[in-house]
Amino acid sequence: MFAPITLEILVLALGFILLLAESFSNSTSKRSLAKIAIFCLGWVFALSFFVESAPSNPEPGSFWNFYSADPVSMVFKRIALLTTMAVLVMALEYEAVLAKNIPSSRTGAGTGEFFILPLFTCTGLMLLASAVDLVMAFAALELVTISFYVMVAYMRGSHASLEAGVKYLILGALSTGFFVYGITWIFGLTGETHFAKIAVKLAALQDSDTAILFALVLVLVGLGFKVAAVPFQSWVPDVYQGAPTPVTAFLSVGSKAAGFLLLLRVLEPFLGVAALSNKILLVLTVLAGATLIFGNLAALPQNNLKRLLAYSSVGHAGYLLMAIACIGVAPSALGSVGSTVGFYLFAYLLMTLLSFLILTIATQHTKGEEIHHFNGLSRRSPFLAFGLLVAMSSLAGVPLTAGFYGKFLVFAQAVNAHQWTLLALATVTVGAGFYFYLRVVAAMYWAEPTDTSPIHVSGLSKLVIALLVTGIFVFGVNPKPVLAALQSSPAPLAATAH
Amino acid sequence: MSPILFWLFTALMLAFGVSVILNRDPVASALSLVASFLCLASLFVGLDAFFIGVIQILVYAGAVMVLFLFIIMLLDLKAEKRRSFNEFALVGGAAVSALFVAGLLKVLSVFPAGAQPFPALGVAKLDDVRLVGITLFTRFNLPFQTVGVLVLVASIGVIVLSRRQLK
Repeated sequence: MFAPITLEILVLALGFILLLAESFSNSTSKRSLAKIAIFCLGWVFALSFFVESAPSNPEPGSFWNFYSADPVSMVFKRIALLTTMAVLVMALEYEAVLAKNIPSSRTGAGTGEFFILPLFTCTGLMLLASAVDLVMAFAALELVTISFYVMVAYMRGSHASLEAGVKYLILGALSTGFFVYGITWIFGLTGETHFAKIAVKLAALQDSDTAILFALVLVLVGLGFKVAAVPFQSWVPDVYQGAPTPVTAFLSVGSKAAGFLLLLRVLEPFLGVAALSNKILLVLTVLAGATLIFGNLAALPQNNLKRLLAYSSVGHAGYLLMAIACIGVAPSALGSVGSTVGFYLFAYLLMTLLSFLILTIATQHTKGEEIHHFNGLSRRSPFLAFGLLVAMSSLAGVPLTAGFYGKFLVFAQAVNAHQWTLLALATVTVGAGFYFYLRVVAAMYWAEPTDTSPIHVSGLSKLVIALLVTGIFVFGVNPKPVLAALQSSPAPLAATAH
Repeated sequence: MSPILFWLFTALMLAFGVSVILNRDPVASALSLVASFLCLASLFVGLDAFFIGVIQILVYAGAVMVLFLFIIMLLDLKAEKRRSFNEFALVGGAAVSALFVAGLLKVLSVFPAGAQPFPALGVAKLDDVRLVGITLFTRFNLPFQTVGVLVLVASIGVIVLSRRQLK
């Protein structure tokens, strides 16, 4: 047993060692960096099951004032570790494309940092999962965001990647501005940055309702950009399409999980202000409704698979926001809003990483990301086609998959909270989802291929695809282990203000 | 801080800020930004936050802006000057800013605590550099270390994205 922060320190140390190895050793191949990183992250993941719990009343000066190790943050840390491992596997597959798009005299030069930067992002995500203080959350969030700015623009030879990088940088900086301004308002109102202390102070504040709401709205705008909620989603399609595919997957899963966890943590103190809870729920409902409609309907006419997945990511943010808009009601028999969001994110991780991994492998052979490039994929590689079939079915919400159970939990929360409007909207958007996700499946299985040469898949990728497919089925049929891990915690997510 | 000085510096800061955006000449934009930073630094000094004021001048107005000007010298200025405004973005941006200011004014008008003066400091003179350091290194140790990693990642990013030809 050891202190929970050891996990972050190990990941960080791994990042430093690999950076030095990359700089000073001539013989290290760039690919072996990624393989070492995946292997070591696997060990850190295993170690995460053997950490001590946090002390019940920490000393005033210790880092426990910024950091918690409750079961929910441990689940999110594991999500971060798994995502990073899968992203590194994708990065290995993507190396050829990456090397082509980096101006260098020797192929493969300059790709080393692409395999190391995800480790720092992972550290940021893990710290964010544990952050219980606005200052800490902000520092960790910026660590994540800044490493994303670099990775999105990593392919300097590609106009799309550079454009995506600039767009993400400008809109990210703008959203950070809103977020920090919101934090200053919160600090100005309460004089505290720790979530629990903010909750106490906010509940005791007299006639400052408008100011509290203003502070929350500013923070919501900032986080809305991170989780790609409508109307703050305008950056998503271009950035997702232009960024290197592994980074798109990382953005789509890691950045979203971090944003939603932070959203839940920030909302909690505000829901304690009785006079405001209706207004806050109204804001969340409007955000959720707009995100559901836009994300799913705008995905309908898309012909580019990467862009389709970008809109799908907005759509899934809509379902997650729908669950969050049910916050503050007594938990149903199926669990609290926090555990629903946690499970949905876990299911989303499995299916999104699976689709992006297959996209990364297949596009190098199909020479394009348009849906018609995937015509007849089942004949070129039945394995990849089956993997993508499972991913798309799970994203659409076919029963027996993890995606279905996630949606089921969200709908159950909406019924429990009497969110009938959102429920009706979501029924329509799920229908739309079936159309655009299964269009990809139709292309793979029923259309004639233009090129019939078989696609070779490396052993490591085969293993990861098999694991993800198994995960989607296992957790779709038996979601207990994940839900139990999420529910075993009393605070701060499982028990929301009531 | 005397209210006259406050309004003077705020007005100047905003005017120069607008001029950063409206100027089509990058050199004029950059110099307006320097002026805007200087006014902001004066506001900090006026609030007795000397350390932040000095850092504002040293880091932003000094180091960052000098680098900015160097980079601008390397750009093709004629191409920049020819670029026109995107009307849609202009109207949209103005509308969002107007809404934001209206919202802010509304909040301030019904926020009683905002009108109260700050309580006076107990001590006449504070050793602010030392106090900031002690607070960072003792109370905010974990966020401070995280920012250290952030700076490392940013510097890796700068090297990765700006290397010209890789060997």
